[in-house]
Amino acid sequence: MADTLPSEFDVIVIGTGLPESIIAAACSRSGRRVLHVDSRSYYGGNWASFSFSGLLSWLKEHQENSDIENDSPVWQDQILENEEAIALSRKDKTIQHVEVFCYASQDLHEDVEEAGALQKNHALVTSANSTEAADSSFLPMEDESLSTMNCEMLTEQTPSSDPENALEVNGAEVTGEKENHCDDKTCVPSTSAEDVSENVPIAEDTTEQPKKNRITYSQIIKEGRRFNIDLVSKLLYSRGLLIDLLIKSNVSRYAEFKNITRILAFREGRVEQVPCSRADVFNSKQLTMVEKRMLMKFLTFCMEYEKYPDEYKGYEDITFYEYLKTQKLTPNLQYIVLHSIAMTSETASSTIDGLKATRNFLHCLGRYGNTPFLFPLYGQGELPQCFCRMCAVFGGIYCLRHSVQCLVVDKESRKCKAIIDQFGQRIISEHFLVEDSYFSENMCSRVQYRQISRAVLITDRSVLKTDSDQQISILTVPAEEPGMFAVRVIELCSSTMTCMKGTYLVHLTCTSSKTAREDLEPVVQKLFIPYTEMEIENEQVEKPRILWALYFNMRDSSDISRSCYKDLPSNVYVCSGPDCGLGNDNAVKQAETLFQEICPSEDFCPPPPNPEDIVLDGDGLQPEASESSAIPEANSETFKESTNLGNLEESSE
Amino acid sequence: MMAIRELKVCLLGDTGVGKSSIVCRFVQDHFDHNISPTIGASFMTKTVPCGNELHKFLIWDTAGQERFHSLAPMYYRGSAAAVIVYDITKQDSFYTLKKWVKELKEHGPENIVMAIAGNKCDLSDIREVPLKDAKEYAESIGAIVVETSAKNAINIEELFQGISRQIPPLDPHENGNNGIKLVKPTSQASRRCC
Repeated sequence: MADTLPSEFDVIVIGTGLPESIIAAACSRSGRRVLHVDSRSYYGGNWASFSFSGLLSWLKEHQENSDIENDSPVWQDQILENEEAIALSRKDKTIQHVEVFCYASQDLHEDVEEAGALQKNHALVTSANSTEAADSSFLPMEDESLSTMNCEMLTEQTPSSDPENALEVNGAEVTGEKENHCDDKTCVPSTSAEDVSENVPIAEDTTEQPKKNRITYSQIIKEGRRFNIDLVSKLLYSRGLLIDLLIKSNVSRYAEFKNITRILAFREGRVEQVPCSRADVFNSKQLTMVEKRMLMKFLTFCMEYEKYPDEYKGYEDITFYEYLKTQKLTPNLQYIVLHSIAMTSETASSTIDGLKATRNFLHCLGRYGNTPFLFPLYGQGELPQCFCRMCAVFGGIYCLRHSVQCLVVDKESRKCKAIIDQFGQRIISEHFLVEDSYFSENMCSRVQYRQISRAVLITDRSVLKTDSDQQISILTVPAEEPGMFAVRVIELCSSTMTCMKGTYLVHLTCTSSKTAREDLEPVVQKLFIPYTEMEIENEQVEKPRILWALYFNMRDSSDISRSCYKDLPSNVYVCSGPDCGLGNDNAVKQAETLFQEICPSEDFCPPPPNPEDIVLDGDGLQPEASESSAIPEANSETFKESTNLGNLEESSE
Repeated sequence: MMAIRELKVCLLGDTGVGKSSIVCRFVQDHFDHNISPTIGASFMTKTVPCGNELHKFLIWDTAGQERFHSLAPMYYRGSAAAVIVYDITKQDSFYTLKKWVKELKEHGPENIVMAIAGNKCDLSDIREVPLKDAKEYAESIGAIVVETSAKNAINIEELFQGISRQIPPLDPHENGNNGIKLVKPTSQASRRCC
């Protein structure tokens, strides 16, 4: 790399998650010189999305990163007498209890590669580390080796409820399969890439998939680019802070969205659709006429509940669940309002919180479609990248694969004045934003982290089949026992550009009480069955089948007071990783608050200026920079065209 | 009334090969020896007729994110074409061209039209990259190739005409996957585009 980094900035941002990226964009937009680095090779940190092979590499990294060799030049020599250093962590400790299960059949070819990708994908089946599994039931843990990973292939059993046993069995079986290079049930050798793509059912195909269209693991590998698998599973409330910010800042022109098409509920062992719009309510077949009127009346009240204090005063001390029982609602409707509309639980919300949540849901309806939610095409991981582009367009400098060894603190002022990067370069700055996972264990020793339990499934059909196979659904499954948390299930279809045709990508999320698999497997077993060849024979299988499954725990570093971090200099700000919530308000609020500390009383991400107002400093002292940054003066026509991009549909229709 | 098709074009190539100058020449027919970085304009547009269609190119600049090899995958999303630029007077920039093609294949859409531009052909007396090499390479990857000079306005129009010709005709079955563009609240219509 011939280019070296400038040695002075106004703001250095470490980590490219959503809050960091928004702040970087906002600061750059406000004229600050921003350096934005990430030690990883991809944008987004724990907010990232991966292709299938990318995800396998990520999994591998989380197995291996216990032994990072420290070959960087020593920075200690560079610390002067009046300085101190805060060493940053070089390994990511935010992901634990990684477990992988593969149910799709593996065919004979070992070296299947992602089509179009030149990078060789990492084999999924790495030596399964099963010995620690029995210990993995408690949280949180610092020891990397406790992250286990195993792979179950074509075993008849579902992941057993006895983790120790299952892991050992699986570990053994994986090795066996690998050595044999063969699969007793799949005798047909894999075909060429073209044949495979023909086999994939097309999106419009809503009929039962014929037998030959079964999906194998090598198809998933070959079509791996079609996947954009999010590490965090979130949606955008159509009137949430993130949508407002995207529109206000014009960052929205870098992304496209899909509407969530269905809100689902899981009742008495069945998945059903929740009516949310007026039309939905009246068209619903599950509700009786009386229920329809009750529901409409209650929802109409919720829209403007503050106007009718008599309706809820006196119920403020009880839970929303109890409150709903006092209303004229059948148990069916109470369930729908509580779990699918307010998206809360029996115990979590007070009457007011529940009413607020219901109103918020209703308020978001209809802005872009029939449900309150949007999902970005290509996955949630696009959003940090969009803000990073905004930052770069305004001159921010980007360096992935660039780690920072330490922060340099002036002893006297107790302020941070520079960083020392992996090459030993000292880069000075006024402000430093650091994502939580970059801090050392010592720095966070007083911090109590919560955990998020996550599962990612690739399945062969939707949890609720309808005439369209391109549905995007959200389903809340209430907690079964006290101490557990409700599980949020988001099912994405291939038109979201996050999975290959003929498959669905299912994300499960909940606040952890145990390991991800212990928390989520009961729900997975209720909704899905493992994919096996046998079932294809017995026609109509009701439940969707799992081709591939991943479980992991992610650290939730949101809402942690900065005083919990030891000796934090006043100009070092902490950004949190993803929170467990459905929306992105937490990230936006955090970004705005920190931005106001760095740039007090400046506008947060205002729209880009009218290019006609941009004054060019025409003496051209920076010929180098001319290539690195954006575009020369735009004529008025160009300007009109480019600023109208938010309104593309008007000009193109 | 001709139909307008919007085509996203992304620019690739090393820092300093003249990516921005090519766009500037194409869109504004203007060349500045010392273009200063303008902020806030992250893509430029130009509409050209092609057959019985109008092609409206939305040309995305790297915004400098290529400098430390940190282009985001979202940069490539939905691109109809990519212009990969090297400097004919710098052998190194031709070597790294292959790296950009590789990256494009990894992150770019399938069937993306690739156009290689050997820029600064006005400086052919200090040429380091023979046109033959570029042609051979372009052929091997199925790309268009042309030597350009943003400075002297050589082959710039031709480059984009070449791209236009390679764009497959609009497939009426293809329009199934339009995303929603978010628009300013002032606008009434807030639905699908394209």
